[in-house]
Amino acid sequence: MKRHGKGMAIGLVLALAFCSAAWAQDTIKIGVVGPRTGPAAATGAAFDEGIKLAVEYVNGKGGVLGKKLEVAFEDTAGAPDKAASGFERLVTRDKVVMVLGESHSSSALAQIEVANRMKIPFIVVEAWADEITAKNYRYVFRAGPSNSGVVNQTIAQWVKAENFKRAFVVAENTDWGIGIGKLTENALAKAGIPYESMITERNSQDHYVELTKIKAFKPDVVLAYIYGVGLHYFVAQAGETGVSPQAVVLDGAGPPSLWPDYWKNVGDYGDLECFVSSMHEKVELTPLAKLFREAYTKKFGKAPTDYKSRSIFDGILIAADAINRAKATDAEKLVEALEKTNLETTRGTAKFGLTPGGPDYHQWMPPMLVIQWQNKQQVVLYPPQAATGKLKR
Amino acid sequence: MLAISVMNGLVIGVIYALAALGVSLVVGIMNVINFAHGELYILAGYFSFLFASTLGMPFAPAMGLAVALVFLFGLLIERLLIRPTYGNDMYSLILTFILSIVLQNAFLLIFGPYPNKPPLWVRGASEIFGLFSYGNQRLAALVSGAALIALVFLVLQKTWFGRIIRATSQDRAMAEWNGVNTTRLNMLSFGLGCALAAAAGVILSPVFPVTPTAGVPIALTAFVVVVLGGMGSMWGCVVGGLLLGLVENLGAAFISSGYKNVFGFLILILVLLVRPSGLFGRAKL
Repeated sequence: MKRHGKGMAIGLVLALAFCSAAWAQDTIKIGVVGPRTGPAAATGAAFDEGIKLAVEYVNGKGGVLGKKLEVAFEDTAGAPDKAASGFERLVTRDKVVMVLGESHSSSALAQIEVANRMKIPFIVVEAWADEITAKNYRYVFRAGPSNSGVVNQTIAQWVKAENFKRAFVVAENTDWGIGIGKLTENALAKAGIPYESMITERNSQDHYVELTKIKAFKPDVVLAYIYGVGLHYFVAQAGETGVSPQAVVLDGAGPPSLWPDYWKNVGDYGDLECFVSSMHEKVELTPLAKLFREAYTKKFGKAPTDYKSRSIFDGILIAADAINRAKATDAEKLVEALEKTNLETTRGTAKFGLTPGGPDYHQWMPPMLVIQWQNKQQVVLYPPQAATGKLKR
Repeated sequence: MLAISVMNGLVIGVIYALAALGVSLVVGIMNVINFAHGELYILAGYFSFLFASTLGMPFAPAMGLAVALVFLFGLLIERLLIRPTYGNDMYSLILTFILSIVLQNAFLLIFGPYPNKPPLWVRGASEIFGLFSYGNQRLAALVSGAALIALVFLVLQKTWFGRIIRATSQDRAMAEWNGVNTTRLNMLSFGLGCALAAAAGVILSPVFPVTPTAGVPIALTAFVVVVLGGMGSMWGCVVGGLLLGLVENLGAAFISSGYKNVFGFLILILVLLVRPSGLFGRAKL
């Protein structure tokens, strides 16, 4: 009996090992990095939603190389050290063939070094610092906004189009904030718009002193590059100190103005605030965008708000498409396939730049919108061809 | 600029002092550093949000209930985690550190990553002497924070319980010889320290919404204030908190807002260079 038991146990272990090996062979893993904790943990929640929809979509269409696509997630908490080690864990422990995601530039800048060293293709989806692609690393791509793209194609053009006379640039002290703040200053100088600027502490909850300085300058637009909950503090305190509505406040990051508790945190001061976004219910650029909205609403019982759920969705589709076209999971073949990407996503046709020497290398910049909250409704202001209303002050 | 910087420095300073008082009380009586202090602040903010926003309770009872629950939770922490470690400060340090991580993840699981805040007590902003506009909720936080600090000092100076606390803080053995049950006092003090963190949490959460990890900088600032004022000194907390609040705001106004936190640490280093035991040294409670 004892011998039987022992035999059964060994058999069970072997069967389980066989099953897990067989299971492993039936899937191809890609990794996603992003903040599930920390001040921008909401991005992790948006990523989770996008991943679920993308995996269902890809596997529903036959998966990758005839196998199921599987996603392993690593929380980076917005900390570069955690981001780099999380990336490395995905490659060494989870054996992923490609990594994508991230929404903190400082974290992404740490991760691209790991990607380059380990020779693993990495598609950044929502970290905007130009340096990420400007380093021209072979294995690093970005299917999402870049600082220069957002400023030069959208924010600066909008500021000019609305005929603002005086601007104030407030940027958080991160790679993203300092980079996008500087680019904005350059664009404003080029357009001949008088401006002043300041750097603010990323984790600061209190902006009263800064807002008093801003008020003294009498701007008619405040371009705020503050990500996370800090943006809520800034908007609410801008109202309390009387900076808004005299000046229009633009959230240059976007998603914090769309988080579920935005209105609870900023109260009435949130109305007339503007923000950048790549998503609006009335501006669907492709049939896939409509499909995403329907699938999202069906699965989560609410309309999609944080556009980063759609960014990661697109990223996974691009990754799956590259794996299928490469007909292999070899890094070199995947890079070659990614360079030849020409795929319709929810935000238009993804195609990476191939000219080395600047931030446009391995970069696909999706179109961005400037939206204003008007009576808690999103009104698209820019670009003019997508506008659903006019700026209210 | 000077006027609003000073005003804001005072408001933030009172808030810092309130958050640090609980740490100081526990350090003074028990020689225990509670690393989960910031998370207890956040817990009270979440309770307040839950009772007032979700269950629709009026804000005052919601706040009271939140503080009471955190007080009870503090008693439980002391009984289960701290008491078995008496005699080894390092164990309590590690345990409260682990508790802070557990609580952060529990908040994330229960309340999600988005910021939450209970309803404002008062809306809008007021013109202060025609100089600047200031949020009414902040003014309410200043008044209630100052009143609470005054109440803590009143209890410590004028009540029998306060006398026991001061006696134990000065000489534990002597207090025991005079019949003070120091084990029970430890438990009450720890609960009270947690309740002070909770009081700061419920007062401030309408101004600064709570998130799962927002307790970390709060605890860090509280520790800076405690060290600045002198470990275990309650007056040190008040002076340290106000000093830190004023230095941060004046520095942000007249030097650079990007280095706001650096000014706090600079003043800490300067004070410690001159007075290594903090502004009020090992002052008596």
